[in-house]
Amino acid sequence: MSDLVIETSGLRKEFRTRKGGLRVAVQNLDLAVPAGGGVHGFLGPNGSGKTTTIRMLLGLARPTRGTMRLFGEPVPEKLPQVIGRVGAVVESPKFSPNFTGQFNLRLLADAIGAPRSRVDEAIATVQLDGREKDRYKGYSLGMKQRLAIAATLLKDPQLLILDEPTNGLDPAGIREIRETIRSLGAAGVTVLLSSHILAEVQQVCTSATIIGNGKLLASGRVEDLLGSSTAHRVVVPEPGRALEVLGAAGLDAAADADAESIRVETDDAARITQVLGEAGVWLTELTPLRPDLETFFLALTDAERLGAEA
Amino acid sequence: MSAFLRLARVELSRLLHRRAALLLIAACLVVPIIIGVAVVLDTRPPSAQELADAQQQVEHDRNDPSFEEQVDECVAHPENWGNYPADLTDEETEKRCRADMEPQLDWYLYSPQLDVPQERDNGSGIAITLLLSMAMMLLGTTFTGHDWASGSVSNQLLFEPRRLRVWFAKALVVTGTAALLATVVQSSYWLAIGAVARSRDRLGDGVLLDCLQMGWRAAAVAGVAALLGFALTMLFRNTVATLGILFGIALAGGILLGVLGIEGRWNPAYNVAAVVTDGVKYYADGPCPEEVVKEVGGDPGGCSVEKELSFAQGAGFLGTAVVGTSLLSLLWFRRRDVP
Repeated sequence: MSDLVIETSGLRKEFRTRKGGLRVAVQNLDLAVPAGGGVHGFLGPNGSGKTTTIRMLLGLARPTRGTMRLFGEPVPEKLPQVIGRVGAVVESPKFSPNFTGQFNLRLLADAIGAPRSRVDEAIATVQLDGREKDRYKGYSLGMKQRLAIAATLLKDPQLLILDEPTNGLDPAGIREIRETIRSLGAAGVTVLLSSHILAEVQQVCTSATIIGNGKLLASGRVEDLLGSSTAHRVVVPEPGRALEVLGAAGLDAAADADAESIRVETDDAARITQVLGEAGVWLTELTPLRPDLETFFLALTDAERLGAEA
Repeated sequence: MSAFLRLARVELSRLLHRRAALLLIAACLVVPIIIGVAVVLDTRPPSAQELADAQQQVEHDRNDPSFEEQVDECVAHPENWGNYPADLTDEETEKRCRADMEPQLDWYLYSPQLDVPQERDNGSGIAITLLLSMAMMLLGTTFTGHDWASGSVSNQLLFEPRRLRVWFAKALVVTGTAALLATVVQSSYWLAIGAVARSRDRLGDGVLLDCLQMGWRAAAVAGVAALLGFALTMLFRNTVATLGILFGIALAGGILLGVLGIEGRWNPAYNVAAVVTDGVKYYADGPCPEEVVKEVGGDPGGCSVEKELSFAQGAGFLGTAVVGTSLLSLLWFRRRDVP
């Protein structure tokens, strides 16, 4: 069995525009999401091709070119064999508005032969119990999102594909969903989390793929993507003296804007402590400065945008 | 239970929980009852009071001097009163005139009698067939149109990605429900009308069976109409677009065929009528028969000629249309991206 739950190779999707032109939504995308649980972030600006990629993986859209595999099986050819292991929420939740939340889930459960008890369990898991007999059209956006997540749980999935799952949720709801995603990932379910909220991805995901204009920009473990620190923030009682000492030792150091700390451009923390210690300047704080995902993401997508414009 | 039957059961449940579908089904049950009650009441036998009143009127008119005056006038100038043979004696002429002019009881009984063949060919049978066919077409259209409008088709496909299976399960449910409902309604209607006619001694031999057979053919047409509405909506993915096209065909189809000079053989309405009524006669432009040419002393250039469209021809036309549309719909649904 493959050690990847999702694998795409040279995936491309073209759309014909109304004026007869061609728009490329996804181009030559190689996506690899490892098996074994954990949360994999799928990042990209609006219109970058995230949802189109997800829709192709789930058989809702046909790729123009390229291959896709879920659990090692080629899709869409073998999708019926693997769809029972995949739960998904694509874009906004889509249910029949005049049916109750419970009846909507029952129809889906009956379609796959899942026991009715699973409907009630799923409703309880997303904390919709008490409102399950209300019509779907009367639900708030957050409740609709929760019902969509409940629908994914009807299958007892090994892979969960969530497209902007916290859209429309209140802060408490966002926190609950994040906790649910984390616990699912920890329990061995592999979650592909498509989101534009970068902080969310950084908090929840262990690995991530970043795309822009339908192209892969970066992929890997979040820590690896951000890289090791290339600078350090130093706080000492005498910043002026410390600047002199560090400069004399050949280190690139400059006072921060607050004039109370110093930024030293090196990833070698030991050398900083050694230089300052030998000069009798004692550190009160030494912090490695890592780029956050937002900075990294914006740098990548800006570069991609500028490249595309050029 | 097989996966297909399980899916079909889900689709049936979905259909029977749709408010629009329930309203259409209710209309198909209630309206024929109203029509049937109206037919039975309109054709009820006259009451004793109505008979007595009519008899009194007959007696009154018979005793009216104007009656005898008219008979005398007829005997004097029979050519003004009808197509009487010239070789009749005065006595025979008077007898014929009196028979023609003598007031009759049924002249004063205004309620028509129940005529089952008439109801079948030109009366309530046609109305119920039209109602069922249109309602079932709407049923097929709204059933799947609602899924497309709410976007729930994509959600359904996340649970059953075999699109052919999904299409067939929905089609089976829509067609089966429509055909079954129409069969029940048509059978019940004609059995009820037949029972009333029998109680009034107005039911000829084999008439009820003819009516039932027509009802069953009409039920099959209702099933086909539902399938057509469903297939078109799966193709266009929009209820309004489908209804617009069907309305356009119903309204302008016949006119367009006429303008283009396409023969009535290809008129959908004639073909539907041929299936329901087991063959239909229609008129088409064609070369004049020899006797007409002889009668007018030359070829008038063209005549309206009576033609017949058989059940088999109508069924072939409808079958081809619905199979063609369904295939197109199926292939389109299978290949196109789902929003």
